[in-house]
Amino acid sequence: MFKKILIANRGEIACRVMKSAKKMGIQTVAVHSEADKDSMHVLMADEAVCIGPAASKESYLVIDKIIAACRQTGAEAVHPGYGFLSENEEFSRRLEENGIIFIGPKHYSVAAMGDKIASKKLAMEARVNTIPGYNAEITDAAAAVQIARDIGYPVMIKASAGGGGKGLRVAFNDKEAFEGFEACRNEARNSFGDDRVFIEKFVEGPHHIEIQVIADSFGNTVYLLERECSIQRRHQKVLEEAPSPFIDDSIRRAMGEQAVALAKAVNYQSAGTVEFVVGSDKSFYFLEMNTRLQVEHPVTEMITGVDLVELMIRVAAGEKLPFTQDDIKPNGWAIECRINAEDPFRGFLPSVGRLVKYRPPATSDGQVRVDTGVFEGGEISMYYDSMIAKLICHGATREQAIGRMRDALNAFVIRGIDSNIPFQAALMQNPRFLSGIFTTSFIADEFPNGFVAADVVHDDPGLLAAVAAFGRRRYIDRAVQVSGQMAGHQRQVGSEWVVQMEGKDYAVVVTPIPGGYSVTYGNDRYDLVSNWRFGELVFQGTCNGAPLCLQLERIGLLYRVVHFGKQVKATVMTAKAARMLALMPKKVPPDLSKFLLSPMPGLLREVAVEAGQEVAAGEKLAVIEAMKMENVLKAERDCKVKKVVAIAGESLSVDQVIIEFE
Amino acid sequence: MHDIIRQLAEKRAAACLGGGQKRIDSQHSKGKLAARERIELLLDSGSFEEWDMFKEHRCNDFGMAEQSVPGDGVVIGCGTINGRLMFVFSQDFTVFGGSLSEAHAEKICKVMDHAIKVGAPVIGLNDSGGARIQEGVASLAGYADVFQRNVLASGVVPQISLIMGPCAGGAVYSPSMTDFIFMVKDSSYMFVTGPEVVKTVTHEDVTAEELGGAVTHTSKSGVADLAFENDVEALMMVRRFISFLPSNNREKPPRLPSQDPADRLDFSLDTLVPDNANKPYNIKELIIKVADDGDFFELQREYAKNIVIGFARMDGSTVGIVANQPLVLAGCLDIKSSIKAARFVRYCDAFNIPVVTFVDVPGFMPGTAQEYGGIIKHGAKLLYAYAECTVPKITVITRKAYGGAYDVMASKHLRGDVNFAWPSAEIAVMGPKGAVEIIFREEKGDPAKLAAREAEYKAKFANPFVAGARGFIDDVIMPNETRKRICRSLAMLRNKQLENPWRKHGNIPL
Repeated sequence: MFKKILIANRGEIACRVMKSAKKMGIQTVAVHSEADKDSMHVLMADEAVCIGPAASKESYLVIDKIIAACRQTGAEAVHPGYGFLSENEEFSRRLEENGIIFIGPKHYSVAAMGDKIASKKLAMEARVNTIPGYNAEITDAAAAVQIARDIGYPVMIKASAGGGGKGLRVAFNDKEAFEGFEACRNEARNSFGDDRVFIEKFVEGPHHIEIQVIADSFGNTVYLLERECSIQRRHQKVLEEAPSPFIDDSIRRAMGEQAVALAKAVNYQSAGTVEFVVGSDKSFYFLEMNTRLQVEHPVTEMITGVDLVELMIRVAAGEKLPFTQDDIKPNGWAIECRINAEDPFRGFLPSVGRLVKYRPPATSDGQVRVDTGVFEGGEISMYYDSMIAKLICHGATREQAIGRMRDALNAFVIRGIDSNIPFQAALMQNPRFLSGIFTTSFIADEFPNGFVAADVVHDDPGLLAAVAAFGRRRYIDRAVQVSGQMAGHQRQVGSEWVVQMEGKDYAVVVTPIPGGYSVTYGNDRYDLVSNWRFGELVFQGTCNGAPLCLQLERIGLLYRVVHFGKQVKATVMTAKAARMLALMPKKVPPDLSKFLLSPMPGLLREVAVEAGQEVAAGEKLAVIEAMKMENVLKAERDCKVKKVVAIAGESLSVDQVIIEFE
Repeated sequence: MHDIIRQLAEKRAAACLGGGQKRIDSQHSKGKLAARERIELLLDSGSFEEWDMFKEHRCNDFGMAEQSVPGDGVVIGCGTINGRLMFVFSQDFTVFGGSLSEAHAEKICKVMDHAIKVGAPVIGLNDSGGARIQEGVASLAGYADVFQRNVLASGVVPQISLIMGPCAGGAVYSPSMTDFIFMVKDSSYMFVTGPEVVKTVTHEDVTAEELGGAVTHTSKSGVADLAFENDVEALMMVRRFISFLPSNNREKPPRLPSQDPADRLDFSLDTLVPDNANKPYNIKELIIKVADDGDFFELQREYAKNIVIGFARMDGSTVGIVANQPLVLAGCLDIKSSIKAARFVRYCDAFNIPVVTFVDVPGFMPGTAQEYGGIIKHGAKLLYAYAECTVPKITVITRKAYGGAYDVMASKHLRGDVNFAWPSAEIAVMGPKGAVEIIFREEKGDPAKLAAREAEYKAKFANPFVAGARGFIDDVIMPNETRKRICRSLAMLRNKQLENPWRKHGNIPL
């Protein structure tokens, strides 16, 4: 076995790999960019080597620097994680040339599968189902349109070297095919340094289901069941689960066997994933093979009990797989929610900055797992991916796994940046998600206008009102203990309160009970017990004896309650005060429609208009770069530019004014 | 006898209506509460005891004899906030527009005299059209009587003004001499001369809101401390605010039992100060993370944002917090921020509230605007305030403490009791770059040499150890233990006794 390995990655996956290495008694070496020098993966590693500036092109993607770091530290092998150099054939080849073991497949397997066109040919030869499409290089956009017509719309345009939804477009007509090809090629060139693009039939009612395989160097290849990854937003996976609620055992077996056949066809050694698109008729087609560890590998680990990273290391060290296909039996259900630094209420724009608070939920073996790469006080920089953690929950059934996920999301505290937790929590309440019947267009169908707070419905708003009343009453019970009171003239705290929440009044009666308060609202009674105090964001306790976990904090006069993705701000007052508050004028927020505000922090790449210019709706106004993505801001309606306030090249903060209109 | 009791009940009912239901409704339609409603919300339910409900004016001119309303446009009395005694006056706009008559002023003076005598705060709810013109100089005399008491009460009992309607002309000078002014957005304004006069004299077109509204005074002039959305919010927040203040200058600040452990560590503070000395960070994160329950009552948060002031509790007791804010103007001291912090430090000193100072200051703001504006004199106010201050003073230098600003910000030399520095502290005359450009002026043409000098200077002074070696810093502490160390120091200083030499009063550079 290796004595020391280097992890050529950052963030949660670097930490995840180190965890297994540490368990196996292997020393770990982290590499990091200058921006990452205080990151969690650096703190976790036994040794760390700085490999350059923040931009990954100058650090995490530079093969020479990784090899030099191996030399410097004496690392015998390299685990690439996912992304970065994980599927770079040259990288694994160069490591081999330098006598360093690549913890992953052999370079020829990477090469064979790394190219989507070549891999499809291979798959066809291995009798794996494939989608109709065009398998040769496409020279220009005009040719792309012709090919798209031949296949028949809708078609999918993809970067050959891409993965994870990057550089992927769906076209429904010639115009989209033309533009999609151009955009796809540009993005492919910028992201992967390889501008080849291919086109294929777009399967309708599709599910994205993938098979995990693991193979050793003795020719043993086993599939570790499937993962359901259909819940995607703009082709980026949002949450994954295993098993899939969509397929049955016979399809599972057929897919698994084809995946194994494909792996064998390229003499695959290590962990890999064969992605399939499964139509609504349960026909399945090979999409691509990811020759690396996947982000969502933990759900497979949760239901199979294997440690995929450990297996990858063992196989790379020349060991045999410790099990055969017959040993693999699914145990219960697992779900993974990706926790991203993005604002779900602003079109999922990336959110960067300091993690002022970061408290993941408590983990428990085999039930709740948190794979994280950040810590409270850390910095989310604009240079890298927005995923900061993964929350994985397991249960005997899908319902139980979902229940645990809801509780865990309720307890997850992130402040300083925005996160998609409210969105994930909303998914855990979504009837269609709960039914298990959904396709890859689930998010687009369920949230056609993006995600808005009103999309989240709580089935027991009385509970939220009761919790707000609890917060207020606990504050008062402490406030009346202040020193210096007039003897015999203590404040008489009443029990009747009005909670005002989302335009509705809840007349509640609050009476103390041991450890908390009993709150009645109409015929409903909530006996809330918790040792929650001010300054703590997580309310752990019970309601009518059943466990209850949510978030409760005071902001000015308001009590903010967050539960199951629902977020309410409530005032709690005496009936008299509430009557007086009702007399107060309702103020309309200021009119910001005359301004173009930066929707996210980022770099202002370009301002496309100048003062005095007439702009038509839909015209480009400015381009902001954030998290490696270029975001084009367009005019919402016809208008005239009064003044350009921000200058190209400037770093923008959220809501900073870029352009003023007349 | 029965007759008298019935009469009393009737008189009471009539007095409670002030200028009548119609005017109360009109007040409501302007988004304002009536004078007694405000008191009901401000004080503990049922605790208000009203005085002078039947007091009337004595003016006979201009038909005033026929118009008399019991109470004469102001409601006074005492009550409690969380069981603590408070004196209150609340001007009643429904009676003669809340205008101040001789009798009206006498009522205000009555509560103030009581407050000074028994040592309890005065809370004034201002909603007045100004002087009762019909009374002429008697009304002006009334104002002056109130002003005099404001001054006598200053530094003896806390005085809080809530501006909940108009407050114009001479009337502004009573609130302006109280300790804290809170305003209600869109329904209150304060100015010495109103928009019409401004228009005639300076030809400026300005609305009352722009000239003296809550937003103007909390962001532009710094006259007011906070602006609230409406009457209800303002009154409820004042309840919360007063819980930080002692009742008088002979008392220690009130204690609120804390469940937040005094020795709580917060490791996220270890990464608060960025490596790059030019990169800002939010000092409020530090304040919130060290305060009990993360509860920080900030004052003047929209004015001179380069310094942060406000109250918090540490281990249950009130402290005043002053902190440079690197997010704004790099946290430098200028005219506005010096005045803002100086007045706050003096308040804390007057009322036995320990001062905790967080320092990250690159110096005083340069420029003609500052020099012509008198930064020398105004900056000296903060220096003076810290130097004369005898309450416990605890200082934590988080990053830069450069030049004269280092001295000013509660340094050891100004009788700082406990002065801590984080490892990231740089205590020096100026930043390394500026320093080497002066010391090695002759090497100006040689950037390489200069860079080497800069590195040398940085290594020598960009740390807390030089100051530590001289005892100007008592200890270099880890950021994560800041709360624990401050709480311990406060406990140690609880019985601090320090007196300045006797004098009538010092001569602060006003």
